[in-house]
Amino acid sequence: MTGLITPDVSTRAESTWRRMLSGNWVGITVATLLLFALSPVIAPGSLDPAPLLSMLPFASVLAIVAAGQTLVVQQRGLDLSVPGMIALAAVLSTGLPQNYGWPLWAAVIAGIVGPGIVGIVNGILVTYLRVMPLVVTLGMNAVLLGTVFFIADGTPSGAPAALNGFALDRTLGIPNTLLIAVLIVVIAGLVTQRSIIGRRLTAVGVSERAAAVLGVRVNVYQMFAYGFAGLCYGAGGVLLAGYTKTPALFLGDSYLLPTVAAVVLGGTALTGGIASVVATGIAALFLTQLGQLLRSVGWQDALQLIAQSVVLIAVVLLRELVPAFLRRRAGRLRQAESR
Amino acid sequence: MTNSDIYDVALAAAPEPAGSPGPAVPGAPVLQLDAIVKTFPGVRALTDVNLEVLAGEVHALVGENGAGKSTLMAVASGALAPDEGTVVIGGRRLSTASPDEARELGLGIVRQDPALLPDLTVAENMAVGVGYRRVGGLRRAVHWSQQQLDPWGMGIDARTRVVDLSVEQRFVVEIAKALALDPKVLILDEPTEHLSLDEVQKLFGRVRELVAGGTAVVYISHRIPEVKQIADRITVLRDGQVRGTFAAAEVDEQQIVERVIGRTLDTVFPEKAGSAGTIGEDDRLAVRSLSGDDFHDISFAVKAGEIVGLAGVQGNGQAALIRALAGLESTSGVIEVGGRRVSNGSNASASSAGVVYVPADRHGEGVFLPLSVGDNISAKTLGDVSTGGMVSERRVLSVAAAQIRRLAIKTPSARTPIQSLSGGNQQKAVLARTLLSEPTVLLAEEPTQGVDAGARVDIYRILHDAAAAGAAVVILSSDGVELEGLCDRVLIMSRGSVVQELVGDDITEAAIARAALTSTTVRERTDSDASARGVKLRRFLRGDQSPAAVLGLIFLVLGVVVTAVNPAYLGAFNINNLLFMVAPLLFVGAAQQVVVLGSGFDLSVGPLMGFLVVLASYWIVDGGNLYVGLALMLTGAVGTGVINGFLVTRFGINPVVVTLAMYMALQGIYLTLRSTPGGIIFGDVADQIQARIGIVPVVTILAVVVLLVLEFALRRTRWGLELRAVGSRVDAAGRLGIKVKRTQFLSYVLCSFLVLPAAVVMMSQIGIGDGRPSLSYTLASVTVVVLAGASIFGGRGSFLGILAAAFLVQQVLNVSPFLGLSQAWSYWLPGLITLTAAVLYAQLRRSRRKRLRAAPIASPKGSAA
Repeated sequence: MTGLITPDVSTRAESTWRRMLSGNWVGITVATLLLFALSPVIAPGSLDPAPLLSMLPFASVLAIVAAGQTLVVQQRGLDLSVPGMIALAAVLSTGLPQNYGWPLWAAVIAGIVGPGIVGIVNGILVTYLRVMPLVVTLGMNAVLLGTVFFIADGTPSGAPAALNGFALDRTLGIPNTLLIAVLIVVIAGLVTQRSIIGRRLTAVGVSERAAAVLGVRVNVYQMFAYGFAGLCYGAGGVLLAGYTKTPALFLGDSYLLPTVAAVVLGGTALTGGIASVVATGIAALFLTQLGQLLRSVGWQDALQLIAQSVVLIAVVLLRELVPAFLRRRAGRLRQAESR
Repeated sequence: MTNSDIYDVALAAAPEPAGSPGPAVPGAPVLQLDAIVKTFPGVRALTDVNLEVLAGEVHALVGENGAGKSTLMAVASGALAPDEGTVVIGGRRLSTASPDEARELGLGIVRQDPALLPDLTVAENMAVGVGYRRVGGLRRAVHWSQQQLDPWGMGIDARTRVVDLSVEQRFVVEIAKALALDPKVLILDEPTEHLSLDEVQKLFGRVRELVAGGTAVVYISHRIPEVKQIADRITVLRDGQVRGTFAAAEVDEQQIVERVIGRTLDTVFPEKAGSAGTIGEDDRLAVRSLSGDDFHDISFAVKAGEIVGLAGVQGNGQAALIRALAGLESTSGVIEVGGRRVSNGSNASASSAGVVYVPADRHGEGVFLPLSVGDNISAKTLGDVSTGGMVSERRVLSVAAAQIRRLAIKTPSARTPIQSLSGGNQQKAVLARTLLSEPTVLLAEEPTQGVDAGARVDIYRILHDAAAAGAAVVILSSDGVELEGLCDRVLIMSRGSVVQELVGDDITEAAIARAALTSTTVRERTDSDASARGVKLRRFLRGDQSPAAVLGLIFLVLGVVVTAVNPAYLGAFNINNLLFMVAPLLFVGAAQQVVVLGSGFDLSVGPLMGFLVVLASYWIVDGGNLYVGLALMLTGAVGTGVINGFLVTRFGINPVVVTLAMYMALQGIYLTLRSTPGGIIFGDVADQIQARIGIVPVVTILAVVVLLVLEFALRRTRWGLELRAVGSRVDAAGRLGIKVKRTQFLSYVLCSFLVLPAAVVMMSQIGIGDGRPSLSYTLASVTVVVLAGASIFGGRGSFLGILAAAFLVQQVLNVSPFLGLSQAWSYWLPGLITLTAAVLYAQLRRSRRKRLRAAPIASPKGSAA
């Protein structure tokens, strides 16, 4: 009788490890706590209110933007249009009031919805027209940057005072940016993990073909994943524009790699499927604090780029190597037993 | 005592099977498998299997789907490493599981899934498959291949691409390839699945010739009559164990069948609804004049409680039909479920009408491998386990627990990822999901493929119960025994039409096989290839060089238009400028093309240029040393390529992630070295780089020459062939013995190396150590590759296309000032060109794929039987 082989201890240990290292928030949470514990040791005073308060808004923006990237990666894409999206949101929310006399509320809505619509366009190109996500988003990024240039007419605009004030302000001592980030990440987390929509998004991400067999409208779900990602970029971009007051035209450029790094650190596999927005958010906090720490020990921004790359590759390698190592060991154990 | 035991005893009492006196006297064993054990996660695929194949015999290996035949042959051919046991070929032991070594020892194999590279020509495939030396070098490959193929009379031109061949033509190529190796032992895995009766007889003729010459042939099939016809000895495999080896002359079909299934028919199958009287009155599923790519004008109806089978030789439209019913293929005609029309080609519409499909490709379409058993079971009925749109984990688990008990699914828990379950238990979970949704119409394609005997009985019961509960059930199966045991009616399909209907007692395995194999309908020709001019145009569009011609034309037209608007455009200064600016683009385009051909991707080409320029700005300056500078640049380029290639191939990391990290790291490095532009490049060097002949810069001539050399190498050298092979189909390339990782690794190194001249040209253009202008080259390189029409999934593309695309892109960038366009256009144009080209090529490829799927129908095969 060919039957089920009950998993032995080693394979069970392996699956625990694997669960911890992929698609789960435990690994990144532990790493983040460790980082914060080590911070005062490496750079005394780095956990004082002032540095924390200057770090949290950037972590918040990254968390929001990376939530969008998570949605795209879940559908086995990779969104290279993040810089253009952020820049578009910023230019819409700052340029429209200054150059075209729009009321602030309309400009903010445009700043969020605009990238959302572009996201839908990305989604249509990827799903219905079957173009590779990488090419779509790379091309779209250039189109967006051109649009930003066009709207701003070459010169950055200042954020309206109200927007700037809101982004700098705190409610009950907590930065508004952080509150919004927590709100977005929690809602996105709940929807993607617990709702029917989220389960279907996961199903489509794991296997489009199997989801199609279930009767899921695969293209619609994928298109909306790109659309919601666009909304996230929009929200992040508007907040960033407000916080920096006079956003540089291409202020999104430095956010591409960190979003990918946050997604990977958060344990979402680049092969799509199981994803965790919350873990990505924690990873965003980790990355920003790491940057802050490096800056406080005298690393310039250029060096930070190198550090981010190294962290990204190291984490991907770790995820690749540890399960492989455990598998090999489990295989050896099994062989030894059978002798 | 079960029936199977009775047969075991009965057959054990039969005379001891021995080498029968065949046409040639069998000689020494050439393939010996000793005590082979192979375990997959959760399943024991092979248990203690011994097999001895003698020189000069045809040794048949029979068994049901999932009995372990293909696994055993994968072990024999070195494609799979056994957990235990040894493989001896021609008296020499296979030391490691290596297809190469097995081939060298004299083993040839023809698989069900031919190891062919779709984007390469037939001749190139044969050259890769049998080794360049045997073919006499790539140049002679076409002639040589044609000689091997002509005896088959299939009208195969050795210069056509394999994608453009029909399924049966591909199979003949695969067989010809295996025969050309003069193997000592040849394994044929279900060779007749795709062949007409005529071709089967040709194959048998060749097999007999081979055997007469002393070759051993292992013939795997589940078609017992064929086996009886060709084999000298027969070994039966069931549930991963050998159930006896017999001289073919001494057993009859009935005995073999009983050995294969391990019991008599009536013990396995529940009572049919027809005899039990549970078939309803009204039609649950009605199909009228339904046509799709692979079938046409199908009409039939299925009543509630009825089980209807679909049968026919594989590839005759039955699979497409059942998928069409599930809304997974586009169709014309009418599908009605419970009297209400379902919109064609919509899986969502079919699903909401109550149509549920159990696919044959369980791993690809049936289950969500990384998700838990519970999630898989509830995947279709999420509404039942949720409140207000939110899924309750507790309810998912309790529903799963109930189903696990009811269908006896063997799993440690409902939380276990389904990928660790055996095939049969995965299939039960799929059926549990299906039953939970209370289907009106249940479509099952090969429901028991790869399922062990115990689970099979359960699955039959489940399907039967679904029908009894009022569903209309349609089962597609290649297993006649299964259809005989389950179905109230069986529709036989041939060449896309229903050619016969068997009802009641007429449904027997023999009748199904006869009807399927002897049908003589001629396939309907589609009108898509009507006009000769259309065909010519299409053939041109399919070629690798068509984009180059189209792009070249656009380039010229654009030039003429702009000149008409502003004659200064044709001025010597502007032409020289255009030609000089295009040089780096040619190099980075070629660099990106090399990686993309091997199905990789390199985002780091842009910053690499900047990094190299900044490196140079420390040495190639007044008072510096040119050679040290160039050596540094070379080291930087090759080093980057080595790191990229190493991370991608050694650890299997997504190339986009690796090169994106490299993109950022290189940017970080050059910004650290020079946060502001600095280090004036030595004027003499810059001038030399900008030297020209007439108005044509020397570097541009050089770039064109490099591209031409690359193009030649891509078509005519082993390197080019292997690069395209890897990009075309990685798994097949690996099976053919190409060193996939090495090829891909080298493609990254070559890519970075080609960035070096681009950086040198850029250095002379900007004249100072500054990395920032380089960033846009990443997009530019992708734009050029996309425009050049390379399949971004690898395998196809041309450097001539790169040449044309680079010129076009540079011209587009150059014309904007002449047309008075604002600076925004310098972003818009490359972006829009990339998107438009990508969309266009995607649509071209798509329509081509569609036509190819229809191709077997259009092929003038005539009446084969």
